[in-house]
Amino acid sequence: MEELLDFLKGPLLPFVFMIFLLGLVRQVVLSTWALIEASRKAGDTNIPYGRVLRNIATWVFPVAHLHRSLPVFSYASFFFHVGVVMSAIFLREHIDLFGHLGLNWPSIPRPYVDWLALLALIGLTVLLGYRIYVRQSRAVSSFADYAILVLLILTVGMGYLAGQSWNVIPYNVTMVFHIAAGSAILVLIPFTKLAHCLLYPFVRLSSEIGWHFTRDAGYDVVKTLYGPEGRKI
Amino acid sequence: MVDSKQETISQQTPTTVVEKKTTAEPKKQPYFYHLDQIPLSQDRARMFLESFAVILRHTNYRPVLDIYARNMAHCARCATTCPVYQATEDPRDIPCYRSQQIVDIYKRYFTLGGWLRAKILGDDPLTNQKVDEIAESLYRCTACRRCSIECPMGLDHGLITHFGRYVLSEAGIAPKGLVVSVREQLEGKTRNTSAVPLPALVDTLQFLEEDFESMKNAKVRFPMDVSGAEYIFFTPVSDYLMEAETLMGIAGVLTAGGVSWTIGTRVYDAINYGLFYNDWVLDRVENEIIGEARRLKAKNILIGECGHASRASKFFIPTFNRGKPIPVVNIIELTYSLLQAGKLDLDPNVVTEKVTYHDPCNLARTGWIIDQPRAILRSFVKDFVEMTPNGRENYCCGGGGGTVSLDEIHKFRMEVGGRTKMEQIRATGAQIVVAPCANCKKQLRELMKYHKLPVEVVGLHDLILRAIRMPNASADQSDGANASESSLVEFSRSQ
Repeated sequence: MEELLDFLKGPLLPFVFMIFLLGLVRQVVLSTWALIEASRKAGDTNIPYGRVLRNIATWVFPVAHLHRSLPVFSYASFFFHVGVVMSAIFLREHIDLFGHLGLNWPSIPRPYVDWLALLALIGLTVLLGYRIYVRQSRAVSSFADYAILVLLILTVGMGYLAGQSWNVIPYNVTMVFHIAAGSAILVLIPFTKLAHCLLYPFVRLSSEIGWHFTRDAGYDVVKTLYGPEGRKI
Repeated sequence: MVDSKQETISQQTPTTVVEKKTTAEPKKQPYFYHLDQIPLSQDRARMFLESFAVILRHTNYRPVLDIYARNMAHCARCATTCPVYQATEDPRDIPCYRSQQIVDIYKRYFTLGGWLRAKILGDDPLTNQKVDEIAESLYRCTACRRCSIECPMGLDHGLITHFGRYVLSEAGIAPKGLVVSVREQLEGKTRNTSAVPLPALVDTLQFLEEDFESMKNAKVRFPMDVSGAEYIFFTPVSDYLMEAETLMGIAGVLTAGGVSWTIGTRVYDAINYGLFYNDWVLDRVENEIIGEARRLKAKNILIGECGHASRASKFFIPTFNRGKPIPVVNIIELTYSLLQAGKLDLDPNVVTEKVTYHDPCNLARTGWIIDQPRAILRSFVKDFVEMTPNGRENYCCGGGGGTVSLDEIHKFRMEVGGRTKMEQIRATGAQIVVAPCANCKKQLRELMKYHKLPVEVVGLHDLILRAIRMPNASADQSDGANASESSLVEFSRSQ
């Protein structure tokens, strides 16, 4: 188990971060390029960026919206996001992983990170419960939606357990599960809906730019499909 | 369904229009979308994919689909905002579920990942049956975009519905009711969706002028073909057939406000069903409107009480206009500014009933026209009550997205699409509901009748007509555009 842990923490980790970073950079570059192209092609290039940015900012901290629809699910989702992001970024042990690169940033003391992780765990459990038990949520859920939740629960749960004195599972075992599941999450981020961690603003932007149609596109579509004579209505 | 064998695209062969005529129509769906020229082609799946590919090539939809495909979180919050899902609780009515069908096709057929996945993990090709399901799903949506308000990710399912319907229509699948109207508007003699010939329009307007005079003891005119007017007025042509009081109210307001305006004689219909199903149609209809405005050298385009026509012109004339920009104004905005300027005298003792206001989705969803009609109503209505929710979060009347024009789905509109709205109106206890939209008015009237609610459905200017006190006869001479006294008479003679 120790060798496995060393492998996960050693040679595998840089590889995982590489896929995570390069994958996300690729996504951001592609999405940025596509939206720039689309805004250039738009017949009406007067795109209300200010309004879109305000919307994006509102929904980054959507406290005003949480109670409005599916409140339990929404609060669970919000607390999960806050918990998982804060505990992942500000745990001392996580920051130390980048120490050899000369990187360092302030950390949150362990007891607080534990509370954040617990918050995330409770949130995740409610989210999974919703997917399984609430009809409308189940109807739109795919295998990936469940798998990602299970991986997140493993990552956060095992990470939380590893730091507890009452943990009956051997430390190395919890860490292997924590790092393996966490690595899987990092690798999956660029290829699944988890990409929204960085692409989220692009969604709102694309929803706005999407309504800015291309001038003459309708004619071009008809000519390509039906020939130069076009078609009748 | 038609395809008992679940044919794959590759197994199908292109067939001609005539060969399809014998294909039996399935009875399963409550209504159909197949055009008469291409009745239920056996090649629907292939045509759908061809249309999909070509539209992606020429338009701006690809980045939207691409970004949506990478980010859809499937939280199902949209389900709680959708009146159709609330009424049916059918998973296919969940906005996210509906959009996913289109996004899945995009991923499978138009991305490298989807292609590889199909090669490695096996394929589940698009079938005619699936295309039919998508068609039904997309036309069960009223395109009200209420779901877009509560999507944490910012997906606009209304945009995907719009795109999906566009793809379907170029593959020959569109509601007959819409297509027949558009055909008359763009290729027919009358150039309007209700086939109202100009002489009939002129007669109607003359009648309205006389009616107004007998009602208000004051003259108004509907100036026609006046060059250089400040505003050229377009309204759903159906208003000329069914909404006399709305039109008289508008004429009263414009006359009292001393506004220079005119109605074109070549194009007088604001309806643009392209907004509901096809961007090419959307472009062409808006350019008809622009062309008429240019012909008469009008400075602004004024749209009457109509949600979709107002949105189509306001938001898409800047897109499709190929010349100098022409501002677009909705009549409610203009009436509000006239009221603010103190040019309208509305009697506060005439409308004593309890009145509520229905926000047409196309006016309110973006926050464009919400406060103005309320300010107008509060200025002369004694007992005004809001329905809940309202404004940007209003519920659709149940006839949005062009569905109100499809009589074959009347029962669906009454029992599913409009159920929440009916309950909202009932909860207010109002005797009058004001809906400044031709589509909403038609749907709400049918809804009130169907559910036996004793509620009168009127336009905003219908109520204004009841309350407006016209300036004296000399003042009404100023009704703009320097229209000659006999503008309508001249048209009558020339017909």
